[in-house]
Amino acid sequence: MSHHKKRVYPQTQFQYSAPPPAGSPGYAAAPGIAVAPGPQQAQQFLTPAQQQLHQQIDQATNSMGNMQLHNVPVVDPNSFYQAGAPSRPVVADPVAGSQYNEQPYSHIAIGKPMNQLYQIDLFQELPPPITDLSLPPPPLLVPPDKIVAPSEDANASPDYLRCTLNALPKSNSLLKKSKLPLAMVIRPYQHLDDSINPPPLNTDGCIVRCRRCRSYINPFVMFLDGGRRWRCNFCGLGNDVPNAFDMDSQGIPVNRYERNEIQHAVVEYLAPREYAVRLPPPSCYAFIFDVSQNSIKNGLLATATRTLLESLDSLPNHDERTRITILAVDHTIHYFSIPPDEEGDHIKMMDVVDLDEPFMPMPDTMFVTLKQCRANVEKLLSQIPEIFQSNILPKFALGPALKAAHNLIKSIGGKIIVTSATLPNVGIGKLNKRNEASVVNTNKEASQLLSCGDAFYKSFTIDCNTTQVTIDLFLASDDYLDVASLSSLARYTGGQTHFYPGFTALNLIDVTKFSKEFSKHITMDLSMEAVMRARGSTGLRMSCFYGHFFNRSSDLCAFPTFPRDQSYVFEISLDDELVRDYAYLQIAVLLSQNTGQRRIRVITVCLPTTDNLAEVYASADQLAMTAYYAHKGIETVMNSGFEAAREYLDKSVQDVLATYKKEIAMSNTAGGAPLRLCANLRMWPLLMHSMTKHMAFRSGRIAADHRAAALNALESMPLPHFIKTIYPTVYSLHDMPDEAGLPNENGEIVLPQPINATSSLFERYGLYLIDTGMDIFLWLGGDAVPELVMDVFGTQDIMQIQIGKGELPILEDSEFNERVRNVICKLREHDDVIIFKTLHIVRGASPSEPVNHASAKEVASLRLWATSQLVEDKVQSSFTYREFLQSMKTKISK
Amino acid sequence: MGAWLFTFAFVINTINTFMQVHFTIMYADLEADYINPIELCSKVNNLITPEAGLHAFNSLLFLLNGYWFVFLLNVPVLFFNGRKIYNKLQLLDATEIFRTLGKHKRESFLKLGFYLVMFFFYLYRLVMELIAEND
Repeated sequence: MSHHKKRVYPQTQFQYSAPPPAGSPGYAAAPGIAVAPGPQQAQQFLTPAQQQLHQQIDQATNSMGNMQLHNVPVVDPNSFYQAGAPSRPVVADPVAGSQYNEQPYSHIAIGKPMNQLYQIDLFQELPPPITDLSLPPPPLLVPPDKIVAPSEDANASPDYLRCTLNALPKSNSLLKKSKLPLAMVIRPYQHLDDSINPPPLNTDGCIVRCRRCRSYINPFVMFLDGGRRWRCNFCGLGNDVPNAFDMDSQGIPVNRYERNEIQHAVVEYLAPREYAVRLPPPSCYAFIFDVSQNSIKNGLLATATRTLLESLDSLPNHDERTRITILAVDHTIHYFSIPPDEEGDHIKMMDVVDLDEPFMPMPDTMFVTLKQCRANVEKLLSQIPEIFQSNILPKFALGPALKAAHNLIKSIGGKIIVTSATLPNVGIGKLNKRNEASVVNTNKEASQLLSCGDAFYKSFTIDCNTTQVTIDLFLASDDYLDVASLSSLARYTGGQTHFYPGFTALNLIDVTKFSKEFSKHITMDLSMEAVMRARGSTGLRMSCFYGHFFNRSSDLCAFPTFPRDQSYVFEISLDDELVRDYAYLQIAVLLSQNTGQRRIRVITVCLPTTDNLAEVYASADQLAMTAYYAHKGIETVMNSGFEAAREYLDKSVQDVLATYKKEIAMSNTAGGAPLRLCANLRMWPLLMHSMTKHMAFRSGRIAADHRAAALNALESMPLPHFIKTIYPTVYSLHDMPDEAGLPNENGEIVLPQPINATSSLFERYGLYLIDTGMDIFLWLGGDAVPELVMDVFGTQDIMQIQIGKGELPILEDSEFNERVRNVICKLREHDDVIIFKTLHIVRGASPSEPVNHASAKEVASLRLWATSQLVEDKVQSSFTYREFLQSMKTKISK
Repeated sequence: MGAWLFTFAFVINTINTFMQVHFTIMYADLEADYINPIELCSKVNNLITPEAGLHAFNSLLFLLNGYWFVFLLNVPVLFFNGRKIYNKLQLLDATEIFRTLGKHKRESFLKLGFYLVMFFFYLYRLVMELIAEND
């Protein structure tokens, strides 16, 4: 471990060397710029930032039912700037410096712009305003004088990093008192493909970092001594500015205020050699195909090999070094020796029966460069299903196969991608079917069914981490697969588990879903040897880390390969009082891209701090808070079970409401008193309540594999998809406006306005779409008029519609059919996760439907599934949202 | 005989005390990033079972020799270790170590305290036995 020992950021130890003699060469113009751009310059710099502030507030204003936000929070930032600039010390003298510039700024701090609290009554907000879910969080109000070169993206966008509190409480006691969590939700990569909308890249190899805390230079530092030095905004140390900072790679002077790291809060560096242990390795893929009987029967093997064959072209291979190996596994391991194309096409299959010490017959030809062996790899992939088509062995030696694949690629590292339809039942890591029936829906469920069944699945991940290997799982079967144990493999290696219950290749929909997702997953941009570190300014410490990675030290998360479709939650604790007006967080991700480059992505965010509880509440981010509680809830499930987790989630809401009532609302009207909360949190109780109804947490008999898969999805999904999974988006299609479902002037399909997820809004004759982030339900009311049925499904008789997984028929002469298909298409369109949403067609109940219809049972279970997504309603024995609020009110008024 | 037994117990107890000190230092090192979790777990896991074994052996000797009171003093720790081993929870898990570190540290501290108390207790009993023998 080469990184620094325990980092301490003492406040009063700034070492200021004697100011260097003025007028050093090449700096004639620097002081003028460095001090602070003059008012005119400031004006010009400020406009975009100001605009953005106002924009954000405007948005908030609109969404909050045109409440006046403008009147208070934003005192014109310009006036601050001008007030502050003259008094700003150019060369920090030791005395002023040691107090960290509190003095010169104290008069500004009083008027620090803060989000204002707008109180609402949760009962007045029924039905809850769901448009809030797509709003940005309360803006981070950072006056431009805190930013070196104010620009639109000087502060990190909430897409990359959102903090649960956009105004940090200054002391731990205030944080405890607020009952709000302090954590951040991080999503360093926004798209599966790195070439979409990349952040600015610095290629000159000049990476300026603080000497002491190793944080990267960012838009919030301060230049001192006429620009020769900069003060780190994390630990407060004065650092020298290297000469290369004002030059480009050719040595031509450049304006430092135009450098990417000063202009943008999210920036990427091309890392010089010091940042890599070895040369960036080639991307390596080891595919483990289950060729046991189950996998042949349900067609998983054929689907997976065909998908891989079709995706070979788009497998990340920018540097043409990508290597691949293929293992077929039943009770033995079948290796394939693939010769380079020019040496003929004789592919040898070698079976290794000894599973304890799987030996490798011909390692060089088993692990081959894709480019050299392309034709032979294709040949092999098209032959595998035939070779094993009559295999009737129900055994699957996953453990030995993983060890074998690991042995093959461990010198380089890479990905092991497993497709499996059978419970591993041979060799090391053998799992047994657990007895579900006796413990499901009891307190023991979590500890008995969701724990890791064999220590191998945890200990093996440690080997994988030391050799930079990620494991991804694609599990598809009707039978029990013990997703809970297997998902550990992916959880600690930066991988992902995908579960396809009831998969069968006979169903075209299943095949489409699997192959779309498998293909997107393997063609997703791959980077190896990634580490992520979070730094916080004085007083802030990362205390807990959630997501799929391995904690290599107390603040370093290691990812053998870095996925593009996951997000992470770091909990922050306040160790010291935050004395300054602004606090900072910085995420740095270091990784080797498939292009053979080592890159660093740095994300910096500046957060105002406050002593005032109301301001903390006014700046809380409801979506980030929900993500945090999901992780906490999952942790509670693992430690104490589902009942305890649901209680924990409810209790969290109750605590916040009680604190709000006691500390902020201050009204002592008894009895009919409203349930108050601030406007920016008004969707949070609903989200928390909906979470207890999610498959991951709700009570009732749920197959252990489904539970494990749901928990796994919740802990790794990017925030927007996570929110959609918690609270599905529902569209009413039969009465959608005329422009909905048709392309707008930009060619994008217009979606109708979503409605609340409650069946009370469902008309018996309507057509609705429920988008849960994982699936789409098309709900056709049982009394729909034949014209509607005809327009959408192309048949007059509602009973003839094929229900269940399906696709809408394409009707040439129906415009409405096309619009519905467009809407579905639009909902499936995204480039940040691999999920392909399956469409389920559901027919609603109707008094006129025949009682003993053949598919009655199927219809009933499908309806149950679809209505369980309507989270504002009663799901089984749970409360409706209104009842939930009532119970909260009773509890806090005790 | 009693003097020998307490001398033996005293030695074993000292070894265990040092082991706990070692654990405590290792946990502190992990927090300060001097050691990585994989290394820590492999080192500590090698010592956990011997430590529990030594303690169990010691307690058994007291039981067999009829020192009921001394045995009873050891019962809580014996029970605690036994339950952990029975549930296969005795070994540290490198993947979860940062979440469970607090618990491990607390356990290590408590055990250290226990062994320190026992250190003086055994010493006292040893002296008492020696005096009794001399009489």
